[in-house]
Amino acid sequence: MIMKIHTKTIYLSIFALSTVLLAACSGPQVRYGDAKAVETVNANYGSTDLQMIAEAMTRSLLQSKAISGSKDAPIVTLADVKNKTSEYIDTRVITDKIRTQLMKSGQVRFAVSITEMQNQTDELKRQNQSGLYKNSTIAKTGNMQGAQYRIEGSIASIVKNTKDVKDVYYVFNLNLINNESGLLEWADEKEIRKTATR
Amino acid sequence: MLLLKKTFLVCAGVGLVLLTGCASKPPAVVPEQAIVGRVPADPPKNPVIDAQTLNAQSKSIAVTDIYFKKEGKNLVFIEETRTTTGNSISSTIAPKTIEVDADKANASALTGGPNSSAFPVKFTDLSDPKSTAPGASPVITPVDPQTSSNSSNTQAQSSKKSGYESKMEYGELRYLANPIRGLLIKSGYKVVQAKSTAAMPNQGDEYFDIVKRIKAGDFGDADYVLYGVLAEVSNTDNVADIPGTRSTSHQMTLEVTVDFNIVDTKTSQIVASFIASGEGKDVQIDGRDTAYKPSAAKLMKLASLDLAEDVRKNLAAQNFITNNPGSAGYERNLKRRIEDDASTLKVYK
Repeated sequence: MIMKIHTKTIYLSIFALSTVLLAACSGPQVRYGDAKAVETVNANYGSTDLQMIAEAMTRSLLQSKAISGSKDAPIVTLADVKNKTSEYIDTRVITDKIRTQLMKSGQVRFAVSITEMQNQTDELKRQNQSGLYKNSTIAKTGNMQGAQYRIEGSIASIVKNTKDVKDVYYVFNLNLINNESGLLEWADEKEIRKTATR
Repeated sequence: MLLLKKTFLVCAGVGLVLLTGCASKPPAVVPEQAIVGRVPADPPKNPVIDAQTLNAQSKSIAVTDIYFKKEGKNLVFIEETRTTTGNSISSTIAPKTIEVDADKANASALTGGPNSSAFPVKFTDLSDPKSTAPGASPVITPVDPQTSSNSSNTQAQSSKKSGYESKMEYGELRYLANPIRGLLIKSGYKVVQAKSTAAMPNQGDEYFDIVKRIKAGDFGDADYVLYGVLAEVSNTDNVADIPGTRSTSHQMTLEVTVDFNIVDTKTSQIVASFIASGEGKDVQIDGRDTAYKPSAAKLMKLASLDLAEDVRKNLAAQNFITNNPGSAGYERNLKRRIEDDASTLKVYK
């Protein structure tokens, strides 16, 4: 009798385990890949393009006279990078990536950009005008540092299609402009050509 | 078991040795003590102020309060009604005086600007003898005898005359010069109290005659007199959008500009001359929406401190003071204090 119950329990357990394993195998397979791996799913703008552009621009910018020749790390702010392509490209991601790499180099300091100003003014208003904070600890209004330079640019593309071939040419331009003098202190471009065949 | 005991003893021994090693570390290096005053003085750069002058321990300076001259204008409107009855003449004069800013009077009433509707006549300078001369043709309006007089031998004439009287106000602003006195004390000068001066009736520009005041002994035995004349005071209240936000910036500013001279009391020579300005600013984010009112006292304090800083820069540029840390003026000042009480004051470098 006891033997019979044990056998039944074993069969039931095996059945349940098999059901669970089968259910697991039937769902989508997820795996982590290399974020830096070359992505060639199609000819559209992709992660590899973003990485190539950011790396090339950062390297070039750090070698510029305005940055490398400066005694103190100059203060820079991010301005617009215009998307002149027919695709949707979040250009802010490109400039943010460039900013991160420049910050890591320690050769550049960044002032808040125009898109971050609302949070900045809200914080100053909260500290200075709410009357809640100890005077000696308040970040005072009127002491923000102005950026010496701004980074702005554009990304454009030329796309050509035939029945079997799609050719896309991207050109990314970036400029470093002296805010006081209005002089263009540095400019560089990164060209990318992608061809997709069927 | 024996091995464990031995290992424990070895570990304890090593720990004790390490602890002893840490405890016997040499103490941190004590910063070198140096009493200032041993550093040689900077060579004089200003040819007017020689080495002896730079040795300012014995030099004193008087700083006047900031002089000002304010021009005001009174708009005057006089209506005179003259009644002639037989051989007797009676006259009624109704003057009306309105005090206005000089620039407002110039901009509007005199030129037929916005205020001219309130004073529908051409204004003339009443202090100008030509404009008030008998032939200067005041507006004369004959009064209708039927309405103005009941008797046939009564005549009434009404004349209207208008113009402006200029008036000058001279005085001293008492609250701007103290930070300047402070910076001069810091830079090593002895600051002498200057006598204040009151403007006389019908005072003219001789109020600014500093040499006259020096000769009158208003500054005691001061070697120099720093005096400033207020060039302009302006208040601004502006609202501007902050780009990239929904907020506005409400900026209230008080700005003073003062013309300064330093006169050598012995020779009456001007040894430094410059114009300095100070700004007191209060910025409120979205201040207009909350009807924020700035504190005038705070703005004045900020403006006077900023003015003193600009004065310091100008005095340093003209080598009248060298009060940067480590400079001769700075050292002299500290040395003087040390000599006052050498037992208690030490400076660590």
